[in-house]
Amino acid sequence: MEEIVTRLKNAVINYEMETIADLAKQIVDQGIDPLVAIEEGLAEGIKTVGEKFGKGEIFLPELVMGAESMKAALAVLEPAVPQGQARKTLGKVVIGTVQDDIHEIGKNLVSTMLSSNGFEVIDLGVNVQAADFLKKAGELKPNILAMSALMTTTMPRMGEIITPLKKENPSVKTIVGGAPVTDVYAKEIGADEYSGDASGAVDSAKKLVG
Amino acid sequence: MPQEQWTLRRSLSGESVSYGIQRGIRFQILSDEDLDRIHWGTLHILEKVGVQVDSPTCRKLLKENGCETDEKSRSAKIPSHLVEEALRKKKSAITLAARNPKYDARLDMNHSYMCANGNGAVAIDFETGERRNSTKKDLVDSTTICDALPNVHVHWPMVSSTDMPPSVVHLHDLEASLNHTEKHVMYETGVTLQDAKDLTAMGYAAAGGEKEYRRRPITSCLQCTYAPLQHDAGVMDASLEFARSGVPLVFFCMPQPGATGPASMVGSVVVGNAEVLSALVMTQLSTPGAAVIYGLGIAPLDMKTTVRAGGSPEHAICSAMGTEMAHYYDMPSCVGVSGTAKEPGIQAAIETYTGCVGPLLAGADLMCGIGLLEDSSCLHLEQVVIDDEIVGAIARLIRGEWACDDTLALDIIEKVGIGNNYLAQKHTMQYLKTDHFMPTLMDRRSEDNWSKTGKKSMKDAAREKTKKILAEHKVPPLSDDVNRNLAAIIDQAKKPLWGGESKVQ
Ligand code: B12
Repeated sequence: MEEIVTRLKNAVINYEMETIADLAKQIVDQGIDPLVAIEEGLAEGIKTVGEKFGKGEIFLPELVMGAESMKAALAVLEPAVPQGQARKTLGKVVIGTVQDDIHEIGKNLVSTMLSSNGFEVIDLGVNVQAADFLKKAGELKPNILAMSALMTTTMPRMGEIITPLKKENPSVKTIVGGAPVTDVYAKEIGADEYSGDASGAVDSAKKLVG
Repeated sequence: MPQEQWTLRRSLSGESVSYGIQRGIRFQILSDEDLDRIHWGTLHILEKVGVQVDSPTCRKLLKENGCETDEKSRSAKIPSHLVEEALRKKKSAITLAARNPKYDARLDMNHSYMCANGNGAVAIDFETGERRNSTKKDLVDSTTICDALPNVHVHWPMVSSTDMPPSVVHLHDLEASLNHTEKHVMYETGVTLQDAKDLTAMGYAAAGGEKEYRRRPITSCLQCTYAPLQHDAGVMDASLEFARSGVPLVFFCMPQPGATGPASMVGSVVVGNAEVLSALVMTQLSTPGAAVIYGLGIAPLDMKTTVRAGGSPEHAICSAMGTEMAHYYDMPSCVGVSGTAKEPGIQAAIETYTGCVGPLLAGADLMCGIGLLEDSSCLHLEQVVIDDEIVGAIARLIRGEWACDDTLALDIIEKVGIGNNYLAQKHTMQYLKTDHFMPTLMDRRSEDNWSKTGKKSMKDAAREKTKKILAEHKVPPLSDDVNRNLAAIIDQAKKPLWGGESKVQ
């Protein structure tokens, strides 16, 4: 059993996107605990990939392919997890780009970095209405709500979400980012954390759940 | 001798040298066969994959004109004949008129014009050096500087007036620009139908009415397409409104090779080309003959830092190829340059130089993007002044040389003879004015003189020049009447951006 879990871990590190699902199926068929496979295989694998990227040893496409491989295996392993049990994550993050803003590249990178560092990420996409952010925060009860805004005209939308969120779901923490957003601005609108790049976003998120 | 060199020679020997950068040299990256392959490849993608068109109005327009549309995926497949029809209807020469006609930018494929970068949200405070959100004052200062600089020909509001109410930031940007430069003003903030109406109304007011504006459009709008292969609803609805109102448009595609476009530059040009051509189709179906400029700003995503690699050699080569595609379609081009440096200095200079020289050599009609650092985000006034000097040097590089009686100067060579010098010749003075680039910031003095005056760096020199321009350069403002009209338009557009109302209809 040890060996096949190590193989799963390596399949993430070597981003074997096309074949990793088969490997995951074998694991399920062999009756190995899917939670062990997720935690010792996938989570360990993606952690290694994330660290390598952080150190500048690998390029972004390698990080993304690693994350895609993890997703492909999770799609097989998660449904096999016995009822009542759940995989351990660092926390749940709901993320999106605010209303009237369609810039998505930065937001997608933040999502990838967060999930490769052990967070469960639910991505709402771009041009997300304030009401939808608030609704999802209520429904999914995430630890963190993360918002991206790339334009001066859409930045105020973040404040528009944070203010009611604090009343409705005070336990949900907020992180904001995007090129025009500054530390000072983030404080002004009452965000809990701000970061200028994707690896900083991970540090911020860890701080909030830690 | 090619036609453009004759024209150039005439203008150089005559009294009036026309506005913009004269172009006598051109290098070619794509062969005719390459251009054909990109074109046919693009048509194939438009027919087979199509584009996503978020605006219901635009989808309806495409459907009525024979495109296969799908309401669920919001996509439209565009047959080649529609592209060909749009290319027949489009304009080939577009004049970006200026408040002062001496600054008219004639995009006729024989001149190049330069435009600073636009809409950054951060600025380095000129007095304190602090990095902070940009204000309307920053916009006034940078506009005044662009008005004064000889190698910035068209103006783009460089930063956003983030100290103004959010719903009217873009209108304050335009107001400050119109009042502080006599050059043509291009903006990129018309992202909803209402924005388009307000910005157009301000253009009409500043030009002295709709009729006069349509004759001489003193503003224009740059619109981004949404890579890969998408068109934002607000942006396209606004674009059709601009076209109807006689406001010239740039459709500017920005796939990032490796992220939102194929990692090969040519592959990303195909994606971008499909976006620009499909936007052109919609515009020409809606307003036949509308003025549309072909825009492209393709810079890869740096795969180590995840920053867009503005000012990279790939950025330059893509802007050059974009120009070649535009000219293949007989359209003027507007292509991008920028830089990722964090402060004025060596990196910023290399990025501006690399980013500008390639496209200008390829014949770019309008280049935008100097002056902001952190990839189009942060304003440093000194950098605008330094970049102006860099463009000046490139302008000299691409002007072209030719052998005619006057340049051969056989008579002068004979007259001066062997072993003497040319200093006392009228020919020398004449050519000094036209053929010798005179830097304003680069320090060519001896080491001795340079040391004696405090060993100033180029950035110091740029700072002094900036101060001087701000203190001395005066731009005639618009009349009080016009300003009252502008203020009224801004006032009416103001709404509370709090409480969930959308800017997009
Ligand atoms: C690429 C781009 C586009 C692409 C986006 C493609 C896509 N699929 O996302 C396209 C062409 C579609 C586009 C469209 C427009 N754009 Co644009 N765009 C850019 C550009 C050049 C780069 C953005 C980018 O992708 N950078 C690379 C990524 C990786 O970086 P990033 O987004 O900043 O994200 C990093 C950090 O900010 C941070 N981060 C981001 N989000 C979050 C969230 C959290 C929680 C945290 C912690 C961190 C974080 O981490 C990320 C990774 O390190 C910027 C300029 C710039 N350099 O920012 C302009 C820019 C943002 N765009 C601008 C404008 C004006 C527009 C348009 C309105 C233009 C038009 N008229 O059509 C439209 C917008 C339409 C709309 N309704 O949204 C302006 C905004 C100006 C302003 N003052 O507000 C900018 C600044 C350019 C400029 N100077 O003019 N754009």
